[in-house]
Amino acid sequence: MIKIVLFCAAGMSTSVLVTKMEKAAKEKGIDVKVEAFPESQMEKHLDGVSVVLLGPQVRFMLPKAKQICEPLGIPVDVIAPQDYGMMNGAKVLENALKLIGKK
Amino acid sequence: MESTKFTDRMITMIMKFVNTKAIIALKDGIMYTLPLTMVGSVFLLLAQIPYQPFNDFMAGIFGNNWTDPLFQIYGVTFEIIAFAACMGIAYVYTKNEGFEGLPASIIALVSFLGLNNSYVTVTGADNKAIKVGSVIDKAWTGGKGMVTAIIVGLLVGYVYSLLLKKKVTIKLPEGVPQGVVNQFTALIPAAVIFTGVFLIYIFFKVALNTTFIEWIYKVLQTPLQGMTDSIGGVIITTALVSILWWFGVHGAAIVLGVVQGLYTANELANQAIINSGKALTIANGAHIMTNQLWSGYVAITGSGLTIGLVIAMIFAGKSTQSKTLGKLAIWPALFNINEPVTFGFPIVMNPFMFLPFVLVPVVSAVATYFMVRIGFLHPFTAVEPPWTTPPIIYGFIVNGWRGALWQIVVMAWSTVAYFPFFKRQDALNLKAEQETLEAEQGLSM
Repeated sequence: MIKIVLFCAAGMSTSVLVTKMEKAAKEKGIDVKVEAFPESQMEKHLDGVSVVLLGPQVRFMLPKAKQICEPLGIPVDVIAPQDYGMMNGAKVLENALKLIGKK
Repeated sequence: MESTKFTDRMITMIMKFVNTKAIIALKDGIMYTLPLTMVGSVFLLLAQIPYQPFNDFMAGIFGNNWTDPLFQIYGVTFEIIAFAACMGIAYVYTKNEGFEGLPASIIALVSFLGLNNSYVTVTGADNKAIKVGSVIDKAWTGGKGMVTAIIVGLLVGYVYSLLLKKKVTIKLPEGVPQGVVNQFTALIPAAVIFTGVFLIYIFFKVALNTTFIEWIYKVLQTPLQGMTDSIGGVIITTALVSILWWFGVHGAAIVLGVVQGLYTANELANQAIINSGKALTIANGAHIMTNQLWSGYVAITGSGLTIGLVIAMIFAGKSTQSKTLGKLAIWPALFNINEPVTFGFPIVMNPFMFLPFVLVPVVSAVATYFMVRIGFLHPFTAVEPPWTTPPIIYGFIVNGWRGALWQIVVMAWSTVAYFPFFKRQDALNLKAEQETLEAEQGLSM
């Protein structure tokens, strides 16, 4: 199963996106688990994770996130602001799957 | 082109500041006080319900001291918040340096205690001063100890990690179990740090006839609290959060990460006024700027007070984007989350939206400040609901019906102020949508 984890400042706004992404995955019949956490807890939530996405408002965390995730072989990227704003679950999911494919 | 370069430079600068080890430790470490203030609030609220018949009823059943157990929980949460901050900061700092955090955290707590007196002086019945020993003076372990807690937490985290990095530790022969080795690792750093505390304690006692914690409170914390509490401080903080968000960076996490400790100290000072039996008024030294003023009247429905945009999108939106986004954004907005608006409308990097996004919260902050000043709202106590509490309910909890009413006024202001800016953006969106539609139709023909 693919596990996607989203991080933002408090894990609040990303949790809205979680539902949208899970819905998009269900429609496509993809087995995905999506979770959201505050960025300060990143290290605690990386077990079995396939890809990490950051909310655009914490994109300044990217270097630190890469430092933590890349040694574990987990790709990291920032969600596109427009997709994030419109809570475009399908698009974000698609990009996440692309990132995993590139691994 | 120029503007993207400028933006990139800005973001790099912000990143550098936010990613300094000290700021990260401060921001993340102070988060450990959250369960104390949030849950402690509930007990404090129950102890102070402003409805006399209820209080009389409770007193009738449980006796006049029925609130004592509630204040007991207040006392072990709010009144030791500096412990939690100090330990949290040292913990995060050390952990981020790649070492185990708990030993540093414990050393930080001891250092904090070591810089406070272990006795209190009380006046006896015969008006003579009596020194009571073997106590921790809680006067300094709550809000008044916050700045010292931050300094000690950072310093201990720094020195502890530095000594470990330089391998200034006791080396045990091979074959000693790792568990035992770990216990010995902290010995030398602890000895070094405690000696430092010992010397600082002596210096302040002998040279200045005070303690470090009292001195910091006087020369650093009081002026800093005054700054956060001045009208200028309120305007700058509010504007800065919006400006950072406009660049697409989480402004509240950054700015509040730094000033939150002081806001908390402000509200605890207010609570101390009430607990001493005095009325909570500006004349009695109450602070105006606290976390509640921020969460309830400045960042309500999200940083930038964007509820007005959401309302406009729902009721006056002509473009598909506005209509869709409005429906999507309203639910998170009720819980003070507005990333759909900031990134979706968008506000971030949108030159049209800069002005209202900065001005709407600043005007609200200033107006609320004066509402407290003239006494329409009372200064905030230590009762602090979670920031995700919906508007109106939040206002009611912190300031009764006036608090709720003022939140409605603030949201109305947001709607009026954002409307003209919304109209312009919506018209642009509509035009773009129609052009795309025409282009598609043109293709299919």
